[in-house]
Amino acid sequence: MDNEAILRKYKLRQKLINILPVAALAVLFTILVVTVQAKGYRLDMYLKIVFNEGVVLAVVATGAVFIYTLGSFDISLGASTLFSATMGVMTYNATGSLALMILVIFGAAVGCSLLSSVLASVFHIPVFVTTVAMMSVLSAIAAQIITTNGGAVGGISIPSALVKPLDNMGFKIAALAVFWLVCFFVFSFTKIGRRQKFLGGNPVCAQLTGIQVNKYAIIAFVMAGLGVGLGAFLTLVYTPSVTATTAGSIGMNIVVAIVFGGMPISGGPRSRIYAALVGGFSYILLNNILKLLIDSNIGYGVSQIVSAVFFLAVVYVTGLNYRSQMLPR
Amino acid sequence: MKTPILEMKHIRKTFASTVALGDVDLNVYPGEIRGLIGENGSGKSTISSIAAGMQKADSGEMRFRGAPWAPVSMLDALDKGIGMIVQESGTIQGVSVAENMFLGEMQQFPGPLGTVDRKAMNAKADEALRSIGVQNVSGATPMAALDFQTRKLVEIAKVVMKDPEILVVDETTTALSQEGRSILYALMKKLRDAGKAVLFISHDLDEIMEVCDTLTVLRDGAIIRHFTKAEFDADAIRTSMIGRELQGDYYRSDFTPSRLPEVAVKAEHIRYGAVLEDVSLTVYRGEIVGIGGLSHCGMHPLGKILFGAIRPDAGEVVTGSGVKITNETVAMKHRFGYVSKDRDVESLSLSASIRDNIAIAGMEQYAVNGFLMLNSRERVYVDKQIADLSIKCADRDQAVSQLSGGNKQKVVFGKWIGRGSEVLILDCPTRGVDIGVKRAMYQLMTELKNQGKSIIMISEELPELMGMSDRILIMKDGKITREFARSADLSDAEIIKYMI
Repeated sequence: MDNEAILRKYKLRQKLINILPVAALAVLFTILVVTVQAKGYRLDMYLKIVFNEGVVLAVVATGAVFIYTLGSFDISLGASTLFSATMGVMTYNATGSLALMILVIFGAAVGCSLLSSVLASVFHIPVFVTTVAMMSVLSAIAAQIITTNGGAVGGISIPSALVKPLDNMGFKIAALAVFWLVCFFVFSFTKIGRRQKFLGGNPVCAQLTGIQVNKYAIIAFVMAGLGVGLGAFLTLVYTPSVTATTAGSIGMNIVVAIVFGGMPISGGPRSRIYAALVGGFSYILLNNILKLLIDSNIGYGVSQIVSAVFFLAVVYVTGLNYRSQMLPR
Repeated sequence: MKTPILEMKHIRKTFASTVALGDVDLNVYPGEIRGLIGENGSGKSTISSIAAGMQKADSGEMRFRGAPWAPVSMLDALDKGIGMIVQESGTIQGVSVAENMFLGEMQQFPGPLGTVDRKAMNAKADEALRSIGVQNVSGATPMAALDFQTRKLVEIAKVVMKDPEILVVDETTTALSQEGRSILYALMKKLRDAGKAVLFISHDLDEIMEVCDTLTVLRDGAIIRHFTKAEFDADAIRTSMIGRELQGDYYRSDFTPSRLPEVAVKAEHIRYGAVLEDVSLTVYRGEIVGIGGLSHCGMHPLGKILFGAIRPDAGEVVTGSGVKITNETVAMKHRFGYVSKDRDVESLSLSASIRDNIAIAGMEQYAVNGFLMLNSRERVYVDKQIADLSIKCADRDQAVSQLSGGNKQKVVFGKWIGRGSEVLILDCPTRGVDIGVKRAMYQLMTELKNQGKSIIMISEELPELMGMSDRILIMKDGKITREFARSADLSDAEIIKYMI
């Protein structure tokens, strides 16, 4: 095979690997539609469920892409979402102000993220360690507030009429679209995104290229905090009450979603902002398909195993190009 | 005719879009030091790494001592008789010297309750290090505490203690000082005299001609010619390597020091631990200042201090306009650029593309209103660097890890030159690059000097210091011991006196 043919084959393979996540999303969507119809259930209802679950995951994961791009890992995003929503509900119940509630939700979310990043950069603690600590602290505070003010099971809530007008696809699509486009712009068309990708690829080289590591870590956490804030607000729009288990699985789901979307778990220059969107919805679709196909008594465990196998397969496929392209030195 | 120890037939290897080897045959005979030479990307490292089990060929056949040869890893190959010392770092940072040397084999030092007898392991490591002439490192020393050259010597000891039938030395000497090189050459000769073989890869033609008994020239993944010692001829070898006659000067053709009157950078009374002791220097615009010395003389940390990457304990670095360089960001703002000796770790992001690596330092050059990054403008910027520096690549989006050493170094140069750096700090800029690329880089440096840019070239190679510098500062034990002005009469012997 001549050089041109090898180059063509290589580029084709790269293209295929790049479009694989979108293709997987389309296939999963088709499977869901076929399964729902075969079982005689209402398709519109299922699509609404998928959308409502997917939109929160996609929003939080989109912000989280900035952290994952640096090669870092934040496991506290679910706890931050819960904490922000809790603070928002408490604020509304104390003041009756929707605007203040939204402000507090975003303030709490960004504040939690900033705290993680500042702790990591000032004390040189690995980000993962600070976020594990933050997860425990935020979950405990939120649980304490919820239990004290509303009971562990029932939780705390805001009047459903308050956010009912916003509980529609139009608003949620608009919220997701605006946030995603802002992130896409920052990630793809500003120095911030370019530098974060480079930093994730080789922090030593990045520093010797004048990139301030702490500054860009803090920016990444602020972007993730904005995603958490919006995710917490959308959670309240969907279900105006908060319990101790609200958003509990988001932290881990984000990891899976980002990988499903075709982004390397190690971050770096091959990070893609669309991974959060594509992966978030793919993951929710997969979960719902598995719920439909597998007996509900054993469904949860089997779903988790199938998701895990799928996760490993995707990590393997997305790593194929990278593994084969290293010269011996 | 002797029977070869190693026979490699019809070896073919591709990396993604790059054909590294196309149908190569190579025999290695007992009692020879065989040189492998060729331009970057010619396939020297690939063929030797296949023999040493680092990777597998796509097709072809290998026989070692007459039996089929298919090692599953470098450790497997080393156990069975072929050991390799790689060009870049081949050790693990987070563990001790002894743990590096006995990686995967610690069971040979059983301690109580299934533990490892570290004392015995450290003693064995010490013994191996002493046997090759390394006196000042112990098995218990953390690897991270050692500099690049000493890590390389540990790697050499690790391979040699296995007494391999074939030792592959892949451009290792570029990381070594003269003392380290002497240790390695002695080892190679000892192996040859014991009826074993050495495959020696280097870009240094003088070194190859001095050390090797036979020589194989590769170009574009194919063997061009085999030379016996009697046939060694520098011009013939060069022509075989690059397939054409070299045009133009190698080093600068003038022997008169020259510079502009304006100061570009000034370092005053720099102290840094036990590494640097009251170092002061001034570099002018349009001047190439060479800094030379033995590997541990402090010149490499000095380069980082000049770029603001290391904060000195005392003293300061200021620009010609008096701005203090406190960190890399300030240095870059004042148009400083830094090319590290450790290219793959400090100068490039290997997981990124050529485009990412070049564009990252030059965003101010093509950003719209200082912040908006447009792909179209970025492509134009990157393509200009690729064209100006003649970087051999499939396209701008090719992963930089797929490039040969010389082309990687061109990417690093492109990254700093593209952004219009006024002061370039180059730490061993031609390490691991072939003769053609070296010449291109020297010409580029001369051109930059003529444009009024300042170059601080830190180098362990005296010929390039003498060939390119307007002034040479020689360092020893953290101090500048002597300054030499550019002159046709300058001799190696005179300079070396102040290094040792």
